[in-house]
Amino acid sequence: MKIFFVVFSKEIISFMRSFMLVLVVLYSFTVDVYIAGSGIQIKPRNVVVGYVDNSGGGISQKILSHLHQPEFLPPKAFLSQKALSAAIFNKEVLVGIIFDSNFEKFYREGKNTTLNVLLDATAASQSLTTLTYLQNIILDFEKLTIPITIKSHKLFNQNADNHSFIGLTEMLSVITMLAIILTAIVFVKEKEEGTWDIMLLMPVDPKIIILAKSLSQVFIVVAGVILTLGFVTFGTFNTPMNGSFWIFILLTFLYAFSTAGIGLFVAAVSKNVMQVAQLSIIIIMPLIFLSGAWTPIYAMHPFFQKLSLISPLRYYIEGSESLFYRGTSFVDMLPYLAGVSILGVIVYWIGFKKIGKLF
Amino acid sequence: MTTLEIRDVSVIYKKLAAVSHISLHVSKGEIIGFIGADGAGKSSLIHAIAGVIQFEGEILYSGHSYHSPQEAEAIKPIMGLMPQGIGLVLYDTLSVMEHLEFFADLRGLTKDEKFYAYRKKLLHMSGLSDFTDRLAGNLSGGMMQKLSLICTLLHRPKLLILDEPTTGVDPLSRLELWEILDNIRKEEGTIIIVSTAYMQEAAKMDRIFLFDEGNIIAQGTSRALLNSIASYTYIATQDTTKNAITFDKRTYSLENLNAEHTQPTLEGLFFINALKNNKTLAPVTIEQRQTEKNIPEIVMQAKGISKYFGSFVANDHINMTLKRGEILGLLGANGAGKTTFIKMLLGLYKIDDGELKLLGKSIKSAQDRMTLKGKIGYVSQHFALYNDMTVKENLIYFANMHKIPLQTAMQRINTYAKELGFDKHMNDLPKELPLGVNQRFSIAAALLHEPVVLFLDEPTSGVDTLARAQFWQILHKLKEKWGISILITTHYMSEAEYCDKVVLLKRGKKIADDTVENLYKNNPNAKTFEDIFLAYFKAES
Repeated sequence: MKIFFVVFSKEIISFMRSFMLVLVVLYSFTVDVYIAGSGIQIKPRNVVVGYVDNSGGGISQKILSHLHQPEFLPPKAFLSQKALSAAIFNKEVLVGIIFDSNFEKFYREGKNTTLNVLLDATAASQSLTTLTYLQNIILDFEKLTIPITIKSHKLFNQNADNHSFIGLTEMLSVITMLAIILTAIVFVKEKEEGTWDIMLLMPVDPKIIILAKSLSQVFIVVAGVILTLGFVTFGTFNTPMNGSFWIFILLTFLYAFSTAGIGLFVAAVSKNVMQVAQLSIIIIMPLIFLSGAWTPIYAMHPFFQKLSLISPLRYYIEGSESLFYRGTSFVDMLPYLAGVSILGVIVYWIGFKKIGKLF
Repeated sequence: MTTLEIRDVSVIYKKLAAVSHISLHVSKGEIIGFIGADGAGKSSLIHAIAGVIQFEGEILYSGHSYHSPQEAEAIKPIMGLMPQGIGLVLYDTLSVMEHLEFFADLRGLTKDEKFYAYRKKLLHMSGLSDFTDRLAGNLSGGMMQKLSLICTLLHRPKLLILDEPTTGVDPLSRLELWEILDNIRKEEGTIIIVSTAYMQEAAKMDRIFLFDEGNIIAQGTSRALLNSIASYTYIATQDTTKNAITFDKRTYSLENLNAEHTQPTLEGLFFINALKNNKTLAPVTIEQRQTEKNIPEIVMQAKGISKYFGSFVANDHINMTLKRGEILGLLGANGAGKTTFIKMLLGLYKIDDGELKLLGKSIKSAQDRMTLKGKIGYVSQHFALYNDMTVKENLIYFANMHKIPLQTAMQRINTYAKELGFDKHMNDLPKELPLGVNQRFSIAAALLHEPVVLFLDEPTSGVDTLARAQFWQILHKLKEKWGISILITTHYMSEAEYCDKVVLLKRGKKIADDTVENLYKNNPNAKTFEDIFLAYFKAES
């Protein structure tokens, strides 16, 4: 037990003394999460709309007046469809609306009239959401009397605010990345410098050294998580916390521990810090893509849905989101805790086997 | 006449002078040598001359003057540089012939009759004619260096600069490398600048420059240099009343000693220089160990130990015995299998074949080793230490790992610090310290638990002469007071002199195994160990 604390505190001291590493960890847990949370936009914002009005104005201008800030910049007028197409081609305009010369005439006569819309589909989500806006504007404009009204209730996230949501997802990704890389580096640095051989020759069970070393990095990651929660998640994005804070910390600890296991595996197969960086990326990317962080699990191909079962990040993300937004109770959290722990133990065991032993 | 002149050149790294205010002059066809330890400034000066780093001062080559790498571009077509490190300029997956083609194209050489004739001659000189299809990755260290050299020679440089071309290369290949250089300078009139860590090579050079801490402390022909200190050199004496340094059967002193004079060695120049600067070797004292240990007569016995990496045989059925209180030198070039052997003894590599007995116990599994861990001390290549912890913290950490009570540990740490002379550096970080200090403190780390056997992997590589001398004194004192057995690997053939018994490895095979006296007895014509090993190498190939 004493050995455990000796190794543990030595690693913490080493970490605190490597200025660059401290900086990277602080950056990832604060600025990086903040940038991701505040920067990534799915709703349209500042969309440039261009139009060609051959109808003589009237209804056309009424429709256009609905496109206002912050979602849209004031619509730009173009003289011909050709000029508008060119502007879209040059990425100056995202959405183009064309009012034909008989648009208003047909409308007034009660005939079927057409509104042509050009969309730059490379900015898929922005332009498609703009299209939905347009449809709603026209529906409003029509004042149709449909005998159905939709009354929606937004649960768990009343403002449908995705800052807190993306901020949280980014934090979970940062945890994954740091837990893997920090743990791998702690071991590989020793391999590079040759101290790992000396450690193996100490009259101490190498398992204790490995456990102490990786837990020290888990500790650093958990400390970083508390930092992000305080300053960014709760402090800036006002993410709700409907569940128990301590269950989340427990879940985080178990998750960081299981990703440390992956780090151990990475350390076992790489010779230097360079290889750690390369291998970590290869492992982290599928881990994140399969986790449901960017695409909901149910929207994946069935094969990938099955595959996502072995990503510990999946359980962690689902667990954390339930905890934050739904306020899930401890008993209902058990499957997530179990999923993370079981996968953790498995990767850890593989890492243990690989990292080093005497013959 | 083509000459190279260096005027007041300094190289400064982060405000620290690597070499300061050096001036020298070299004539056509001359081979000059830079000799000194790692960090003495040889490489910095070589890089400045080659025009690959910024420097202060002026360098003149046959009328062309340059002050910076940019200005040096003009002479690069007639210059050849071979950087430090075995096979560093080679590509593992290209064959010998492909290398020659590649370097010729790189230099834009016209491939005419003359070129092919010259290439054939170079291949012949280097003994690579029969291996033109072999991949560089499959060449031995010596062959790699010869290939690097002829690749550098392909464009017939008039100024050839070689940074430690022979370090870690087997004695026979070293001899051949020197023959190539000698031929080239005679036929082409090339100016050749060579740096080396081996004192014995000084005789092959026209003039040598001895480097110490960024300064040239002596220069001239090796004969003249030896003569200059002959009057300070005595047969080893125990007269300690005066300022003197005793090492390798000789005592050096600036004062008159009551002893007979003897033939000095080039190492002596470093000792004399130290004495002139009022430095001496700190006296080494080793106290009796605190715990009594029962040491069996035979500490380590290896029978037919082998290691294979794929189809490569790193160690081929090696037998070796290490007795109580014996210093066994395991010698060989880089890649001969020294480190692999030590790692198998320690259990860091699996033993593929053969039997190993450590301290009377047959080693079959990792369990067998657990009980022995407390009795073995190990210093790895490059002194593995934690660079972000101070010397003291490192030692306390190692003591903790050995479960030594803190009080005992502190007492031992302080004793070793004083005895081995690093007590001034206890609160410094290892990376800020000279290699020699790191070397002594890693020994201390390996001694904390008072082992009965020490395994040292290249502990003297790159360390300066004084530190090396002191290191060997420590080992001999340890043997004397503790009755400890030591297995030490080195690629300095001359260090065999300080061992009790020597095992010589060549490409994974044992080619010599005998006591130092017997080796001399069996080779009556040999003047130095270098000659003895050369004989064994020749007999084998």
